[in-house]
Amino acid sequence: MKMMVAIKQVPQRDVQVRIDATGKWIEESDLQWALNESDAYALEEALQLKEKHGGEVVVISAGPERVGSTIREALAKGADRAIHVDCDPGNLDVLGVARLLAAAIKSESPDLTLTGLQSDDLGYGQTGVILAELMGLAHATLILHVDKTDQGLMLKRELEEGWFQTIELPLPAVLTIQSGGNKLRYATLMGIKKAKTKEVRRVTAQDLGAPSTPAVTLERIAAPQKQKSTQMLGGSAKEAAAALAEKLKFEARVL
Amino acid sequence: MTILLPVLAEPQHFTVAEQVLFAVLAVASGWLFWRRFGPILKKILASKRDPGFRLFPLGKRVWDFVWEVLCQAKVIRQRPLPGLAHAFVFWGFCAFALVTLNHCAVGLGIGFLHPDGAVGRFYFYLAAAFALACAVGIAGLFVRRFLVRPRWLGAKLSWESGFIALLIFLLMVTYLGAFFVSHADPAARVLWWVHTLCLLVFLPIIPHTKHLHLVLSPGTVFLSRGGFSKIPPLAGDEDFGLVAGTDLTQLASLQAYSCVECGRCTEHCPAANTGKVLNPKEVVLGLRSYLNELGPGSAETLLGKYNSQEAVFQCTTCGSCEFQCPVGIEHLPILIGLRRGAVNTGAWEDDHGAKLFLALERGSNALGMSATERDKFVQKLELPIFDGTQEYCLWLGCMGGYDPKGREIIADFVRVMRYLGTSFGVLRKEKCTGDPVRRLGNDLAFQQLAEANLETMAQNKVKKIVSICPHCVRTIQEDWKEYGTPPEIEHHSEFLARHLSQLPSIENNETIVFHDPCYLGRYRDVYDEPRAVVRASGTLVEAARHGERSFCCGAGGGLAFLGEETGERVSLVRAKELVETGATTVGTACPFCNSMFRDALASKGEGAPQLLDLAQLMARALPDSTNAMNN
Amino acid sequence: MSGVWVVLEERNGKIGRISWEAVAAGQKLGAQLGLSVGAILPGADTEALANEAATKAIAKVVRLEHALVGAYTADAFSLALEQFVRQEQPDYLVFPHTYQVRDYAPALAARLGQVLIGDVTAIGDGPVFTRQLMQGRLNGEYKHAGGGTCFVSVQSGAFRADQIESGSAIVETFTPTIEASQIRTKPGEPFRGSAQTVDLGSAQLIVSVGRGIKEADNLPMVQELAAALGAEIAASRPICDNGWLPIERQVGSSGQTVAPKLYLAVGISGAIQHLVGMKGSQCVVAINKDPEAPIFEVADYGIVGDLFEVVPALTEAVKAAKQ
Repeated sequence: MKMMVAIKQVPQRDVQVRIDATGKWIEESDLQWALNESDAYALEEALQLKEKHGGEVVVISAGPERVGSTIREALAKGADRAIHVDCDPGNLDVLGVARLLAAAIKSESPDLTLTGLQSDDLGYGQTGVILAELMGLAHATLILHVDKTDQGLMLKRELEEGWFQTIELPLPAVLTIQSGGNKLRYATLMGIKKAKTKEVRRVTAQDLGAPSTPAVTLERIAAPQKQKSTQMLGGSAKEAAAALAEKLKFEARVL
Repeated sequence: MTILLPVLAEPQHFTVAEQVLFAVLAVASGWLFWRRFGPILKKILASKRDPGFRLFPLGKRVWDFVWEVLCQAKVIRQRPLPGLAHAFVFWGFCAFALVTLNHCAVGLGIGFLHPDGAVGRFYFYLAAAFALACAVGIAGLFVRRFLVRPRWLGAKLSWESGFIALLIFLLMVTYLGAFFVSHADPAARVLWWVHTLCLLVFLPIIPHTKHLHLVLSPGTVFLSRGGFSKIPPLAGDEDFGLVAGTDLTQLASLQAYSCVECGRCTEHCPAANTGKVLNPKEVVLGLRSYLNELGPGSAETLLGKYNSQEAVFQCTTCGSCEFQCPVGIEHLPILIGLRRGAVNTGAWEDDHGAKLFLALERGSNALGMSATERDKFVQKLELPIFDGTQEYCLWLGCMGGYDPKGREIIADFVRVMRYLGTSFGVLRKEKCTGDPVRRLGNDLAFQQLAEANLETMAQNKVKKIVSICPHCVRTIQEDWKEYGTPPEIEHHSEFLARHLSQLPSIENNETIVFHDPCYLGRYRDVYDEPRAVVRASGTLVEAARHGERSFCCGAGGGLAFLGEETGERVSLVRAKELVETGATTVGTACPFCNSMFRDALASKGEGAPQLLDLAQLMARALPDSTNAMNN
Repeated sequence: MSGVWVVLEERNGKIGRISWEAVAAGQKLGAQLGLSVGAILPGADTEALANEAATKAIAKVVRLEHALVGAYTADAFSLALEQFVRQEQPDYLVFPHTYQVRDYAPALAARLGQVLIGDVTAIGDGPVFTRQLMQGRLNGEYKHAGGGTCFVSVQSGAFRADQIESGSAIVETFTPTIEASQIRTKPGEPFRGSAQTVDLGSAQLIVSVGRGIKEADNLPMVQELAAALGAEIAASRPICDNGWLPIERQVGSSGQTVAPKLYLAVGISGAIQHLVGMKGSQCVVAINKDPEAPIFEVADYGIVGDLFEVVPALTEAVKAAKQ
């Protein structure tokens, strides 16, 4: 089975982020980058499918030169080769990025395209679904488990509130993968050494077609007013409990 | 009046037939020896060369040889009575060198030490004294092995050991017996032949038994890697550690064949003592079996038939094994090498291990916490940021930066430094030193951490570091050398000891039992400084196993980050030992030891001793201490 | 263009609270821009539900009625709504941000050359839509550029469903054209995770108990709280070591790692070995009698008090709030 995994390089979750001088994006100069978490699960799912059914895993990532390190990490974990769509995502909306990816993926004609559910930075959760639409393929989201059948795929999908669902769909298809479905493998020294000889093909945005004007623009970013500090609820046990229930319902929204 | 002292009988006039027989037997024995030893020597030499091995300078090597081999220092010190017995057997062998040569020469009619001459008489008497000591020694060791049966020698009785003990005993007895017969006595000839047969039977037995150490171990001790737990660098792109036979180096093979099976390594191993599968002796013997069956050219994995992955990942890297070994076997590079082979190739599948590796792939610390947590802590304590102008860089480490207890230790150490007026700062960003991944054998993760940290250090012009964690100290000082030049670093116990005179001390009734951390004691040879600090804070008491013999807390080797242990918990065993001293306080010098004992001591309930780090012991005496200076 | 349209979502035969919140958002938008607000209800046999929707202060309720829209599939919903949008040309199409909407709305938007502004937490003048970035560390303000319908989905709880006024709306039906062959996915019946194995890793709500509970006999009190919340029970290591709860319920470095929406720590001090197992939780609540307990450092809400008083009181308060 030929599989493509669309991965994104995002700022490391660990560190504080600062807003840059334009007020439109974060300061990137001293950021550390990492592979988006749900994309790591998508990659893991693809690698496990390859181990079970054979085939090829090709990773594709859109972004500037720095995404090369994340591509290499994916190759180190077992992907066979990679495509780097060299572009500046700052000028594109999610549809624009998806169009570039779709054009590159279409030329590969994979049986299955996987991507993570959503990115750790922008968090739209739409790229995979849009890819399916642009390529005219069936899709499913929030997938925890993939099984290959004679007719296509049998999937386990997460629903709200602890429910799950199976879905069958035909190949070729596009899936967005939820975190936590598999155990991730760690990058090994052997993997990194092997990755040095694997192909990374670079294509530019121009090669893939003229850019479209964004339908949606990010005007500015700001820190949220309420800082994450501990709210201590005082009073008698009854008063504190009542206050807590109110917070859980309306602030945390978990009731 | 001349006193007639006995003279060693030298059989006269061997017939030509006898001489020929002797020559033939001697040649046969020698040939048989070589037939068995040759392949072993070949296997050792056919193994890979050790990367980074340097023969010079010879000074330390010669010293170790004299001290450990000739003086039998480790043999005696670590197990006094059996050690002394063995020492006499060894010295007996040495003393007998000329005796044996002469004995063989006599058999060919060309004896050169005349038993009646002054030189001969003197030498033979000297040898006799050793022979007596040797005979007593070997008899004692025989009794120990077959009647006392200490469990470290293994459950199965070794008949081969018994036979060899008998041969050695006979050799000594036939020698001593020759003093009580005259040259012409037929008994002298009989004694001579029995002695000879013992020798000739002994020789070919050596290569296939643990007595190979007679031939190899002086070389093993001389050729050791040097250092303690010295992990060799990986050599080139195809080297991932000890994966298969082709990865075994000459030193590793030599050491595998040198094992005496004495079990001293196992006797002090925290894993072996708490019901785990790991047995350091069996790991070394497993390599030997591998080499015997498959040889150094084999591509079959080392972790397979003779050694298990499970065992190898139960090691806390405490170092008791390597520290004790009388024949110079370096267990830790072997164990860590085997781990490297499994981890660097992805063969090790462990949920907690993967979690640790992923946390360090994507983040800055081994606990998987957000770096902003450390930032908040630094702000809360108002710690100055290191900018190259201060004298010390205070390294927080993962425990000091993120663990509530580790943070308390840092807070108290900071109070001490502020009291002393020491100029210090903390780095804005720290990454884990990489100790857990280094000991678990993940060279990719370690390289990334070491290089990133070294760059941060260089950028911030760090010259001197002080740390509360012996693991950080070791990793920064030694392991980072593989990727650059680390700054100087010392442990806070060394810092505190140096400043004791400037710090107020306490008068109280507390008895404090100090637990030597593995990475401070055996690894760094620091035993006195922490004790000086403890004495300034109360009365020092020692646990049964202390100093070099200190029993691990169980956290090392990356094990603090792995899942639940099998068997008894190492930390509980050690905690019990500390509590049994009756001390009111347990003193620690490592945040991992502190963390391991916290739960173990808490389970003892109300009567449990309090648990305090050295920094906390000192800080309580400071003027602004919120703890009153009463008991 | 025909104003603001809100897409209602049917779940288990009811219109869920989150759909009413979307209506509230739609009403805000409509008021801000002087546009009419309508609701769309995709489904089969939705007459009763449509009438319920018609009791809100909106102009119209349109039943997007077709047998093939009775059960959710991305293809059916996208096709049906696409046809409605092409005919009615809404200015704004507002969705509740549910798993279902995330599955089809982006495709629908892309089909129409638009981008969904998803998981919106506030609507400001402009209109400007605010959504969270960097896992809630930053907010981003978005504008719809260009013409055509603007697609928006709103986050659960961002708008108040109880603030919708009553009114009376006309109910209409729109029948899309859908062939069975156009539906490519075959969904199965929803099921729960297996009851035997404890899967704390995927639990959304967890009540965790520590040494403060003192005795096994005190556990039922905490279990009642968990039941009231619909949460799983977990524990710190000493509780499992004592055998009061099975080892699968241990959260911590040598147990499970969890990342629920709510982690309620009862009588847990917050040692690092425990923290590393639950620090991924979105909302942490701590109840402990020690104000210095490290757990408060990672808590969003904290109560310093006697858990034997607080827990029963909280159980009652939660039950009341859920009604």
